[in-house]
Amino acid sequence: MYVTTDVAPRLLEDTPLGPEAGGLYRRQNIWTGLGFGVFLGFVAWLISHALLQGSNWGSDMVVTVTMVAWVIGFNIGMGSFNAPIRWALGHDQTHQDELYAAGVGQGRSRYLKFCTDHKVVGTQYLVLVLVLFGVGGTLAMLIRTQLITAHSSFLSPETYNSLVTIHGMCMIIATIIMVSGPFTNFIMPIMIGAKDMAFPRLNAMSFWVVVSAVPCLLATFFLGGVDAGWTTYAPLTVQAPPAMDAFAVTIITFVVSVTVAGVNTIVTIITMRAKGMTMGRLPIFTWGSMIGGGLGLYAMPAFLLVMTLMITDRATGTSFFVAAQGGSGWLYENVFWVMGHPEVYVILLPPVAAMLEVASTFARKPVFGYKVVVASFAAVAGLSIMVWAHHMFTTGWAPDLGGPFMLTTELISIPTGVIFLSIIGTLWKGRIWTRLPMYFVYLFLWNFIIGGVTGIYLSDVPADQYFHGDMFVTAHFHYTLLGGAMIAATAALCYWFPKVSAKMLNERIGKIAFWMIAIGIQITYFGCSGRGSKECPVVWRTTTRSSSMPTRWPPVAPTCSCSDGSCSCTPCSIRGATGSRPRPTRGAPRPWSGRYRPRCHWRTSLWIRW
Amino acid sequence: MSFEEQVDELERTVMSEKPFFSRPGGKIFIIWLILSVIGVLIGFYAPHHLLPAMMSSTGTDVFKTVVVFTVLAAPVAAFVYAVGIYSLIAWRHKGDQDEPPEDGPPMHGNGPMTVVWLVVSSLLVVVLLVWGLSVYMAQQVSHPNTLQIDVTGRQWLWTFKYPGTGVESRTLVLPLDRAVEFNVTSVDVTHGFWPVALGNQVDANPGEVTVIQTTPDKLGKFSVRCSQLCGLYHAFMYSSGSVVTPTQFSQWLQAQGVPPALADRTARIAR
Amino acid sequence: MVADSNLQVDQTDVGEEPGGDDRARPLGLILTVVIALAATVGIGAFFWSQTYQSPSGTQVAQSAGTAVVNGVTMPHVTLSFQSYPDANGSVNGVAIHPAGNPSWPAFGMTNVFQVPTHALVTVTVSQYDSGGALNNPWFARVRGTVDGVATVDGKVVTAVDPNNVGHTFTVRGTPGTDPGFFLNVPLPSVGGENQTDVGQHHTVVFSFVSGSAGTYAWNCEFPCGTMVAAFGGPMGAYGYMSGFMHVV
Repeated sequence: MYVTTDVAPRLLEDTPLGPEAGGLYRRQNIWTGLGFGVFLGFVAWLISHALLQGSNWGSDMVVTVTMVAWVIGFNIGMGSFNAPIRWALGHDQTHQDELYAAGVGQGRSRYLKFCTDHKVVGTQYLVLVLVLFGVGGTLAMLIRTQLITAHSSFLSPETYNSLVTIHGMCMIIATIIMVSGPFTNFIMPIMIGAKDMAFPRLNAMSFWVVVSAVPCLLATFFLGGVDAGWTTYAPLTVQAPPAMDAFAVTIITFVVSVTVAGVNTIVTIITMRAKGMTMGRLPIFTWGSMIGGGLGLYAMPAFLLVMTLMITDRATGTSFFVAAQGGSGWLYENVFWVMGHPEVYVILLPPVAAMLEVASTFARKPVFGYKVVVASFAAVAGLSIMVWAHHMFTTGWAPDLGGPFMLTTELISIPTGVIFLSIIGTLWKGRIWTRLPMYFVYLFLWNFIIGGVTGIYLSDVPADQYFHGDMFVTAHFHYTLLGGAMIAATAALCYWFPKVSAKMLNERIGKIAFWMIAIGIQITYFGCSGRGSKECPVVWRTTTRSSSMPTRWPPVAPTCSCSDGSCSCTPCSIRGATGSRPRPTRGAPRPWSGRYRPRCHWRTSLWIRW
Repeated sequence: MSFEEQVDELERTVMSEKPFFSRPGGKIFIIWLILSVIGVLIGFYAPHHLLPAMMSSTGTDVFKTVVVFTVLAAPVAAFVYAVGIYSLIAWRHKGDQDEPPEDGPPMHGNGPMTVVWLVVSSLLVVVLLVWGLSVYMAQQVSHPNTLQIDVTGRQWLWTFKYPGTGVESRTLVLPLDRAVEFNVTSVDVTHGFWPVALGNQVDANPGEVTVIQTTPDKLGKFSVRCSQLCGLYHAFMYSSGSVVTPTQFSQWLQAQGVPPALADRTARIAR
Repeated sequence: MVADSNLQVDQTDVGEEPGGDDRARPLGLILTVVIALAATVGIGAFFWSQTYQSPSGTQVAQSAGTAVVNGVTMPHVTLSFQSYPDANGSVNGVAIHPAGNPSWPAFGMTNVFQVPTHALVTVTVSQYDSGGALNNPWFARVRGTVDGVATVDGKVVTAVDPNNVGHTFTVRGTPGTDPGFFLNVPLPSVGGENQTDVGQHHTVVFSFVSGSAGTYAWNCEFPCGTMVAAFGGPMGAYGYMSGFMHVV
């Protein structure tokens, strides 16, 4: 146990808490949550099963009701709804209760509880994100293993298609919260000098709601699998097994969490800045968090909407998306992509902003063109809500809109270009300190350029009508989201890890992981784009001989698997580093100290107690 | 004059005494030039190896677009890479990596540079847009004597009907140099009709007919794929296609049971 | 309030932790990697165990001399297989899937066949399963056989009733094999829904000319599986309603 300063813990230990403080919170933890969730889910299953057995849509209704009951039960058991219920009953929480809920005097166990402390919530998010990356990465490796040989019978068609779907959604959930979960919660309030997030209880709730969504997502494997691809286009999902309903409940639950978290972030930044922290002085990461969170408020409800309609189509026999009964698959596709494209920037903006902080710190220079960058963040967010139909160039929906959507899509490259200018401007004549986080900044630069250039072809309607739906597109969005956003998030993780844990990462292991990731990404996705541009549709259970990677790229396929595995090595390196004895850096708690890193969050004390 | 402008001014004065290629800007220019040339060469060389041999007007459009866009993007990408590489070589903090380096110059931005960057990227966007739109518009023009083909996707195969002849085939046979219009639909779920080397595709939606057109301009074989996940055997949803001369096309129709006169008329051969 | 500590500016700069260990501890790292590998291998093994391994191996076509098709002399071979309502093979008492799901319909005794290239293959299928209406009536027609016909219980047909199909035997050529190859033979159903397992069957005989060398995938196009659209279970798992035909 290492604490950089003993001020804060003493403050907490000295706070006298009565034995009654906390009330119900005292008896709630993850086990009561799991227990009550399973209990309520089981009750809901019994009732719905008894009522709906034998009806046409029975199994869909039963799964939906059971999953919703699990989510609600889990959160009741965790204590997410304690405060509002008590308020509704007329006896609000006391200050002592709030202190207890914030984790006072509970040691490590508060990490498994409903804890309103933003630093605890941030740490919880970080662990969850790493777990989700582990799950999604494992699924990716299984996909890759299937694709090693032509006509491999490693995975059955049903399993393969389900793996693709769950890999996609697992990674999307993880990447949306990978920076806005851990670092916006942990670092952002400290950056702006706030005591906590604006709504600490909503903050804790947003975390436990995501947690309750994860079992729903994984349950799909035991309910027949969602074999409709990660976009779950509508006519096919009507054929899908009841796992589709669990999938939809996952999304709905997740959207509730993201929306709550987004509101919390925006309100915190607008209302809780310390004196003198004007909007014009906000650290760039704060801007990224706020604009990303705001964009999420626009985008994610569309996902909730479309998944709700999907459930009603499946479980109650409506026909929003069933062409045979007057619905339209294009309706699904439109609403899905109204969510789908802004969502990419919900993922991208916070990590990129965090990475600008990293670049600034390790070039020992301020962020280049601060105001222009903030403006370009806003421009990216604004344009991104007007580009969705570029995912639909080949659907046959409104060919006349090809031109306008090509325009907006290509316009978005201007503000994105400004972000590149800011990075290279920050590096310009800097004193480049090549510590681990800076490695990832350079890797971001390399990957994101490739992701951007491949995106140019896809923004062009005639070229997209060739490339759409093949592995080239897969390579493109993995270069932007894995090679760009996730690498930027890794830079942020390496940068802020000492702040979160009071321990330094082991740089030697980290650099081994770095090179594995860097080389693995290039081999995998160069291979993908090469093979993809020669007719290799995305979701291929079995690559046929002429278009399988192994034929033309003998060493590639196994390496591809390794590279995905290598990404999982980042958590390994963190584990390896934390496994060693605590290693405070020189000048702790300001490991990357310097003059042009005037970020007050490094100067505030730490009170991490593990 | 602000502090950082003074620093910049000072640096500029000091630097300007050196010849251009000894200054950072000059060295970056050299790296940029080399990388740009490599990028442009890749733009001309790689599409031949990454794309299949295109067999139609739309396919040729795709090929040209890929070349032009790569060539346009190469200098921009090369500039970012050049600065990145140079910063690692020249501005890297050497020595004990545990010790933080001194602070760099306090540059908060550079107005003219930002303006130049914005103007250049806007111009590039305009070029991309004009190119894309002109190609797209040209593809929308309908041709006389268009051969109509009704394409139907089902789980899990494609069928092609030649209206007026009663032919329904599992392989797609097209006459050379004749505009062809595909009327695409599906009987169950959404499929993606992708005749690969024709460089065009459109989804097959149940209850809707979507239309694409192209003009095959090379003889040979190509494959027809499904590009939209459509269930278990999506991977095997495959048809072969071929582009043949009008005479061969007529013969093929006759082999499918079409009377010779009708076959020749459909293939537009004068007897 | 708790988070007051955020604003406590640290003036003390604690510095070196006493006893701080600069060396990485390899044990934790190795354990992590080993556990991660073990988890991956474990999950892979789980899926592998779910993969159907044909218990009867590959059925190699029996030679039956030579035949003349459209004036071309070629080798003639024969294949025979069955389609059962239950994978436990209650019809002939031998389970097709000892470890699989016994209540799923399956082709048997094996679903991996081997035939020579460019040969006349005469196939005899004994169809024991019940059935229903096809999603796509297109598959009710016999396609790709010699003369486009098949023989059902001795009667020559070009199509069967799309509302009474038990299974189909559908083989597709793909790039790497013979791209133009396609074979679809509908196998009519036996009796009504409940008339399974009683030993009645249809005998369907058809001949086709095999294509060039390669591994062809075949599957059943009648949704006979589980779940809403009957595409689950045996339709999606290996070895029940799909398999491979090696042409060598």
